[in-house]
Amino acid sequence: MQENSNKQSKSKIQDYEPIVGRSYIEELRLLGDRLNNKVIQNINSTYIGGGVAEILDHMVPLVNQLGVDMRWDVIQGNNDFFSVTKKFHNAIHGIHENITASDFDLFIETTQKNAEQIKLYGDIIFVHDPQPIALIAQKETIGRKWAWRCHIDISSPDETVWNFLHKFIVHYDAAVFSAPNFARQLSIPQFLISPSIDPLSDKNKELPIETINAVLSKYGLYQEKPMILQVSRFDRLKDPVGVIAAFEMVRKNIDCQLVLAGGTATDDPESEEVLKEVKERASGNPDIHVLLIPPGSDIEINALQRAATVILQKSIKEGFGLTVSEALWKKKPVVATGVGGITLQVKHKFTGLLCHSIEGAAYSIRQLLINREYANWLGQNGHQHVKQNFLITRHVRDYLLLFLSLYHPDDVIYL
Amino acid sequence: MAELMQWLLNNWLLIIIPVLTFLTAYIVGLWLRRKAFDVFRRWTAKSKWAGTQLVIETFRNPFLLWFILLGIYLAVYVSVLDPEYKLVAGRVISTLFVVSIMLVMITLSEKLIRFYLTKRELFRAQIPLLVNVVRTTVIVVGLLIVLDIWGMPTTPIILVLAAGLLIAIFALRDTLPSLFYGAHIAWSEQIKKGDFIQTENGESGYITALNWRNTEIKTLEGNCTIIPNTILSRTRIINYGHPLKKASSPFRFYTRLTFKQLTGLKATNLQELAEIMKEASDSIIYYHTHSFLEEHHYLTPEPANDFALWVSDSLGHEILGERLASIDAFDYPSLDALKMRLVGVITDYMAHNPDDRVAIEGEAFHFIRSKIVILPTAYIAHDLREFIEVMKKITIDSIFYHIFEARLRLKKSSNDFSVWIEDCLGDKDLAGKIARLDPYTYTLESLRANIIEIVETHTR
Repeated sequence: MQENSNKQSKSKIQDYEPIVGRSYIEELRLLGDRLNNKVIQNINSTYIGGGVAEILDHMVPLVNQLGVDMRWDVIQGNNDFFSVTKKFHNAIHGIHENITASDFDLFIETTQKNAEQIKLYGDIIFVHDPQPIALIAQKETIGRKWAWRCHIDISSPDETVWNFLHKFIVHYDAAVFSAPNFARQLSIPQFLISPSIDPLSDKNKELPIETINAVLSKYGLYQEKPMILQVSRFDRLKDPVGVIAAFEMVRKNIDCQLVLAGGTATDDPESEEVLKEVKERASGNPDIHVLLIPPGSDIEINALQRAATVILQKSIKEGFGLTVSEALWKKKPVVATGVGGITLQVKHKFTGLLCHSIEGAAYSIRQLLINREYANWLGQNGHQHVKQNFLITRHVRDYLLLFLSLYHPDDVIYL
Repeated sequence: MAELMQWLLNNWLLIIIPVLTFLTAYIVGLWLRRKAFDVFRRWTAKSKWAGTQLVIETFRNPFLLWFILLGIYLAVYVSVLDPEYKLVAGRVISTLFVVSIMLVMITLSEKLIRFYLTKRELFRAQIPLLVNVVRTTVIVVGLLIVLDIWGMPTTPIILVLAAGLLIAIFALRDTLPSLFYGAHIAWSEQIKKGDFIQTENGESGYITALNWRNTEIKTLEGNCTIIPNTILSRTRIINYGHPLKKASSPFRFYTRLTFKQLTGLKATNLQELAEIMKEASDSIIYYHTHSFLEEHHYLTPEPANDFALWVSDSLGHEILGERLASIDAFDYPSLDALKMRLVGVITDYMAHNPDDRVAIEGEAFHFIRSKIVILPTAYIAHDLREFIEVMKKITIDSIFYHIFEARLRLKKSSNDFSVWIEDCLGDKDLAGKIARLDPYTYTLESLRANIIEIVETHTR
């Protein structure tokens, strides 16, 4: 067990006041006051890489600034252990995996080793994702409040893995999911806490026009031509080929360009193949730009999103799809398929347009390119929607409310 | 004795002239004092200057003393004393004259300072300091004059004093502007203790104290903010004047923060929707009929309740969607009554439209319960002016709590604002105006703006 002692957020909680208002931050402080005698211990499987680590990296310092003692620890495991948890991850998503009894044994054995090494000091122990889930066995000995934060979609899992994990889940005091359709019926209270974006991060902060133009020049994009953009890794589930098809329908009548920007995942051997396929499909069309963006190029992604006229997220299957919130935050009109967490972010005809097919996507893009006022209205609404529901300050608030609710089971809690 | 009498008889003229000179000066002094004070009284009667009596009281005795000193001086001058004695006598008399002038200046300035500054809050605490400063200045100047009379060198002393003054000014270079602006604020009387002010950078509250250097205001959060006078004098200030009628008990603003709890229940068609709704708790119905107000508070018009949106967008029952959207929660006294109305509309529609459409995968209706956490904010209003200012600052969650939660979820008779205005300020008219607002027809921000406007109009 390691304890993270070197986490520094660039932003201070008061830096968010100009965005969400002083009163909002005051309310966070009020909640923090109610928890200042509690220690909250986050446990996950890594400090670096992945969405959970990224969220905790921003979250822990902000919560600390509110006077709440939140800490973050990780479990240890060898490569075999993490191969097993990767199989669990895929199986939970409904992908068939060959999981053997020895895999379950290794999972339990590693958890027991962690349980022996671990110092469970938190008044509230907040466990993230399936890797450390079996630590709940310690509850019988030490008590405390335990919450399980599930960042993935468990709505249609492999039953063998689900039955194995379910034995642990039911001993928690609460479970937390990112979207209603990610959850299943459980005997413990389940809460809905959506993920969030950080408006002050490199990916979302305001950029000077010079930076945006420099990025456009770097990738050989036309500044004057309307730009349709999809930002996502090269994965069949993001349907990049479908995006090109939709663009070609639009391009027949409207002069515009398409940018497909993303990276390839090292843990996904298929992504190189998808990229090659996309490049072949786009070849010969000078208005289609396939950009392989290296990891960590947040400013470049930000610049592309800010330069775009319409942002597309035509996923076939999606987790929460925070790229949609990133686009909405930049006041861009969004066309997206109604899958995963996208439906929470895009309210059809209010904060963006939902589609269910390539033709639907093309139709919506055309509408937005022609009706700029309507597109702007959607973009403005989208910005407000994200401000209200998908910023990190709301995420902090929900976590504090979750911790408080562990001690107050009633629907109405007076503090 | 006989010798003395003989000397007086021989030199009577040498004595009588100085005595007569002295008596003449004394009588002229008495006469002049009467005339001068009569003229002064007539002048001050016209100008109605309130300090007349102070001046008369201070000058009455010294005025005669000065003529006595003048008489003695003249008597010595016309006498046959040696010039050496005359010189010493002249210096003594001049010294006495300067000392008397100093005493008069000190007394008069002290009386005038107390007379004027006692009425001014800003200066009241500084009166002893001012008196001492004036007293010291007069004594120093007087001593310099006396030294000059006796022929002693004063230039080095003046130089030392000037250097000391410069050092003091340098040491107080940060304080002096505050003192200057403090004096400006006090004399201009643009703000006073008890006034409600708002500065251009958003600080607002009642002035609780004014002094030479700072102005203290009690903010709406109950904190004491100290603003240096140098800043205050350069800032645009709105002065709302004196407090309005105080409430019999203050209004404490609360906020309520929602938290979504998943129930695990979901519906894919109208039948399932109606059946789950029938059994649903208040907190579920409340969430699906109110969450849109908060989550989409920026939209005009706002989307309808979740049930209406789902049956229209996911099932394609546009007519039912319209009927559900048109149900105004404001018309229903309780969530149970609202639920029965919603279920009634759905079952009635199903009876006439036996079309069992099913939502496509991923578009099921997920029932969510809202848990609410209610906690007090730092904001308290004692009168309508404070109420307006707090209304401008609080979050929409706080407005939501006092308007929506109060009535339906917490089963209060009206919104909290109206109840307080009627019960604690006795203003039924204003309470009624706010109570009659249908909050469901406004966005939360426009609801805030409307309430502020109603109260502002009422207080003008």
